[in-house]
Amino acid sequence: MKLNFYKQKNSIFLIFFYFLAFYLASVNVFDFGVHIEEKFHRLNGHYWLNYVAECFGFENLQRITQIKIDAIGDYTLSSISRYNKYGVIFDLPAAYLEIVLGLDDISKIYYLKHILSFSIFLISSFYFYNILEKRYNNFYISFLGLVLFITTPRIFGDSFLYKDVLFLSIFTISLYYFLKILDRFSLNNLFFFSLFCAFAINLRIFAIFLPLFFLIIIFMKTLEDKNSKKIYTQILFFFISLILFTYLFWPYLWENPITSFFNLFKSLKTDLINVKILYFNDYVYNTLLPDTYLINWFVISNPIPQVLFFFFGYLFYARRFIKRFLHIKTDSIYPDLWRSKNEMKDFIIFFIFSSFFFIFLFFNAPYYNGWRLVYFYNFFIIYFGLNILSILLVILRKKKFLKSFVVSIIFFQIFYNVVIVYKSHPYQSIYFSDVLSEKFREGFEGDYYGLSAKHFFKYLAKLDTKEKIIVAVASHTPLQRGLEGFSEELKNKFKIVGQEYHLADYIFKNNISEIDPRLNKKYEIPKNFSMIYTYKVNKTKIYEIYKSNK
Amino acid sequence: MKIFFYKAILIFILFIAAFHFTFGYAIKKAKIELRDTISKEKIEELKSKVREEMLSASKKENYINPEDAKIINKFFKKVISDLEKNK
Repeated sequence: MKLNFYKQKNSIFLIFFYFLAFYLASVNVFDFGVHIEEKFHRLNGHYWLNYVAECFGFENLQRITQIKIDAIGDYTLSSISRYNKYGVIFDLPAAYLEIVLGLDDISKIYYLKHILSFSIFLISSFYFYNILEKRYNNFYISFLGLVLFITTPRIFGDSFLYKDVLFLSIFTISLYYFLKILDRFSLNNLFFFSLFCAFAINLRIFAIFLPLFFLIIIFMKTLEDKNSKKIYTQILFFFISLILFTYLFWPYLWENPITSFFNLFKSLKTDLINVKILYFNDYVYNTLLPDTYLINWFVISNPIPQVLFFFFGYLFYARRFIKRFLHIKTDSIYPDLWRSKNEMKDFIIFFIFSSFFFIFLFFNAPYYNGWRLVYFYNFFIIYFGLNILSILLVILRKKKFLKSFVVSIIFFQIFYNVVIVYKSHPYQSIYFSDVLSEKFREGFEGDYYGLSAKHFFKYLAKLDTKEKIIVAVASHTPLQRGLEGFSEELKNKFKIVGQEYHLADYIFKNNISEIDPRLNKKYEIPKNFSMIYTYKVNKTKIYEIYKSNK
Repeated sequence: MKIFFYKAILIFILFIAAFHFTFGYAIKKAKIELRDTISKEKIEELKSKVREEMLSASKKENYINPEDAKIINKFFKKVISDLEKNK
């Protein structure tokens, strides 16, 4: 067997890169606090594990999970039987792992989940790298894409929290198989695509559009193709396996699949968050957001070169697409919207991104806390950015100075991302562009996940040596849940009294509010309290502490 | 067939976009206005304004104009006598 030294060298480099990334993550994972939704996800995992155990008659497992369910529930959580439609693809195996490993320490359970979540993200980044490698056949561009994919500050920060970046990871793997099918139409690829599509649907119901887009693309490809019968038989196999996997990996559907599935869409109307959110220093309904919400958030919460490369890349492809569309003719040698396999891939990525973007826009998707619900767009952001970069490098191949300038921007971008990830640790998920002033940043939601609770309790425990500290919360953040990861001793030191400020010694305040504080005084700090501390990370205010003057 | 399919998709998208940026936009604006007017927060704000107004009124020596007070007094007396008559 002949060894390709160039490829070998790249593989060794990649292995080293992944080893380093995993090592750094596992060392620093303990800095992340407990986020406010961890409790729900743990409960969700055990609730469905209990159900599975009951279905298969695993009495011991059922007993253990029941004990865990009873222990997890508290006044801050709604009944799980009401909010039981959330996917289990991560929560259920994590709950099982918790039992198998005999983990009782809550903080260890959560850190295990954090590291699992990050590992899935790292695995998906390798799929992303492979997509790029097949598209550009250039190690440097693919590796650059991989690094940007991982180090985009908000994405990196969220990758430990097994929420929106977990969906990005599964979505990326699904897209890998989507594109692979177009390279090689095999049952094997269809099988894996259906599997990961089912996982994606399990996590976010809107992923149901993915198989639909796949069908449209296949239809476009096989139009006027006389041998398309065989392909459609295989597509039938894909849809059957997709339905089977969706059913199999979602215990919620087991009892009454069709009704339960349609109930998911009904619950979109009733169960989705419907609150006011801070946006440009104003409070707006998250169900009636301006059309520019997403674009504005994207611009302010991403590094500028990344934003520019994406916009130019997207616009460049849009221009090419319009040109192709206007010149398409049946009797032409290019009777399609693309002229090569690579261009077809660009078209598919463009089609999927634009479709999702406009579907969400037309249906008034209820975003909150920035663009977190659509973090899977990061795939497209990096892809289009690299697209324009590769074109620029070709155009400028003879203009050495300009080419060096573009390359230096890229190096600067990587360096900047790494520095930001390091500097704002563990609050990368609250990243704002550096050109924004401190005051401007305060006009937007910050620490939605309440990661700062860890810092807050530690700081207060040091500041006040009293046996019992009473804390009120002038924010929508359920601060109580942030205590979960602490020792019993520290937990007992604090008593959270919600908005009963008259009982409190201290007040925790951040800019997360579900109401307009100018109209509703629920979170107004009483006059007998004064601010004693402001915690800022990289010019972004995370929280404030107020102390009673009594 | 292919060109027909592409054009059909384009027309469909343009139709939805036109709807969104005209009627959809107007509907959204109306919904925001309506919600702002009848929201719980707005009612709370109104209630607190009434409270403030009542408080400031109670502090004033003469809140109602003497002429108006006479008219209101007469009016209430009339209402009470009518109610008494038709018990």
